[in-house]
Amino acid sequence: MESKPSYSYHAEPFELAERPRRFLEAFSAILKHSNYGPVLDSYIRLSTKCARCTASCPVYEASSDPRDVPCMRSELLFRVYRRYFTIAGQLRARLFDDFTLTDEYIDHMAEEMWRCTACKRCKSFCPMGIDHGMITHLSRWILSEIGITPKAMVVSVREQLEGKTKNTSAIPMVAMKDSCEFLEEELEEMFPDQKIKFPMDVEGAEYVFFPAVSDYLMEADTLMGNAAMLHATGTSWTIGTQNFDGIDYGLFCSDRMWDRIIKAQVEEIKRLKGKVMLIGECGHASRSAKEGMQNFIPPEDRVPVVNIMELAYEHFKSGRLKLKKGVIKKKTTYHDPCNIARKGWIIEQPREILRHICEDFVEMTPRGKDNYCCGGGGGTVSIDEIHEFRMLIGGKTKAEQIKRTGAYYIVAPCANCKKQTEEIIKAHKIDAQKVGLHDLLLKAIEF
Amino acid sequence: MEQWLEWARGPFFRASFAIMILGLLRVLAFNAFSMARLIIKSRKNKREIPWSTVVSETLKWMFPVQRGFNQRPVFSFTSILFHAGIIITPIFLGAHIVLWDRGLGISWPSISQAAADYLTILAVVTGMALFIFRVSSRSSRAISRFQDYFLPLLIIVPFITGYLAMHPSINPVSWHAAMFIHVMSGNLILVLLPFTKMSHVALFPTTQLVSELGWYLEPDSGENVMKELGKEGESI
Repeated sequence: MESKPSYSYHAEPFELAERPRRFLEAFSAILKHSNYGPVLDSYIRLSTKCARCTASCPVYEASSDPRDVPCMRSELLFRVYRRYFTIAGQLRARLFDDFTLTDEYIDHMAEEMWRCTACKRCKSFCPMGIDHGMITHLSRWILSEIGITPKAMVVSVREQLEGKTKNTSAIPMVAMKDSCEFLEEELEEMFPDQKIKFPMDVEGAEYVFFPAVSDYLMEADTLMGNAAMLHATGTSWTIGTQNFDGIDYGLFCSDRMWDRIIKAQVEEIKRLKGKVMLIGECGHASRSAKEGMQNFIPPEDRVPVVNIMELAYEHFKSGRLKLKKGVIKKKTTYHDPCNIARKGWIIEQPREILRHICEDFVEMTPRGKDNYCCGGGGGTVSIDEIHEFRMLIGGKTKAEQIKRTGAYYIVAPCANCKKQTEEIIKAHKIDAQKVGLHDLLLKAIEF
Repeated sequence: MEQWLEWARGPFFRASFAIMILGLLRVLAFNAFSMARLIIKSRKNKREIPWSTVVSETLKWMFPVQRGFNQRPVFSFTSILFHAGIIITPIFLGAHIVLWDRGLGISWPSISQAAADYLTILAVVTGMALFIFRVSSRSSRAISRFQDYFLPLLIIVPFITGYLAMHPSINPVSWHAAMFIHVMSGNLILVLLPFTKMSHVALFPTTQLVSELGWYLEPDSGENVMKELGKEGESI
């Protein structure tokens, strides 16, 4: 009689029998239809166990626990690959009592893989350039194929792909429309001579808007800023009422889900004959869409993916977007969401805007490509039951970083970073407020 | 002893060198084939590989001077100097080039004996430092395997014994003994090279490329995995 394993996160009941075999089957199937095989062939031989990654990982810095060393976590998967998928490994197993995959080992992996925020800072520090975030990403996919994924992820993805509302927060379309109407009224009060609208289902609009769906209910200022900016620049945009959620948690737990979600989003763009996918202020949604578009959408169906901050920056540079100088008086700093900053995609653009509209803009150290994860990355922010871990370990390094800047406004242009930053601010009693870039833009916009 | 030395430098060296070359070729060939396959796949899927980024990152990693300053400078520079010492000396030492000339008739410029002496001492000192770093850090001990302790100690042996052989005044053993240990430890390194983490000599240049390509998937990969696992029609 097997007792049900328990992890730090809730997981829905999964099949307990023959887990090692099914794990390896899932692993083989994935290796067959992806590029992870050659990656692992390189990584298992390259990894020198130098522990340089410890200098980079925000989780390790806070916990100082060897289990959080990125290379240690990756070794969990390397060991399996070496033993079962290399000739040398299989030969050794015949001759020596070597490593075998067991239920306990899978449980251990399931626990460790969700302590990582997949921020990929380790990749920049590893002397070999090993992408430990990718190994976490791959391990999570394999685990999800045998049914082990945090419930928070599964419930969101299920609702987005199979539910009635087709979004991760189960917001009915009428609720979304109501919310937008309310925001339109607010905007009318703020700017009485402008008719700022949230266009719905406009066929042929250039930009189809996909924010993180939680923005509709929780980030009114960001959304109003978005709408105001798009209105002020005369941008042709729309929201698609059949699919208005940019979130793609497949990036965090299963490439198979990543695939299905981006396909559903692109279908909506095609329905409306839109030209560009406009992602709102959300880090992972931007990356899921950009890379997912290249991965999962056939070349003839692809559309360009633009993050709304890129668009705002373009309009700002060209002069179409007029912003008052120095209206934000309080000290402001900028947090780089991992998914848009790590590869250098969006770093200077929002900063140039902030330097213009803020009187007192300060940088965090490190900044840009090397900035720390908020502590809620990789989907961990959505797992409420690990809140304490996120506050005391995952987000501790970020909290110290924020404190050091002494800033009041923390611009965190990512829905998940916003949630995590808000929680850190409360837990670590920092006198600060999290905002999105467009929240501040709203205060500075000129028509 | 003379006989042993001749055997060590002759057949045994040739065998070890052959094993190293063949082992590395195997690793290189598999790597090259995999890269080619993945690049062709991405072309088929009309994906742009960001070559300029990949190449510039690879060079940054190969000559990590700027990164060394930013990230744990003491450890980084120890490692960089160690690599400089162990790469330059064996290849450009006059005594080694003479052997290649005798054996295969090929030769190339050499460094001065004094330079070789300094580089050898550098290699030995930094090698020992790296070993001490590894042993004295908790996180490092937690993840180190046998080869991580053994290899730095093994690698400095031919350097120590080579130096002793060239400086008979401080050599506690006979020249033949020192040379024998020198050649045999060198042979052991050559044999182990393709089968341990030392194979990074061949795999390291393509790491940035392979890490980039690893994230690429194809439009039907999700479906194929689903079919493979017999999960069609299964709800989430």
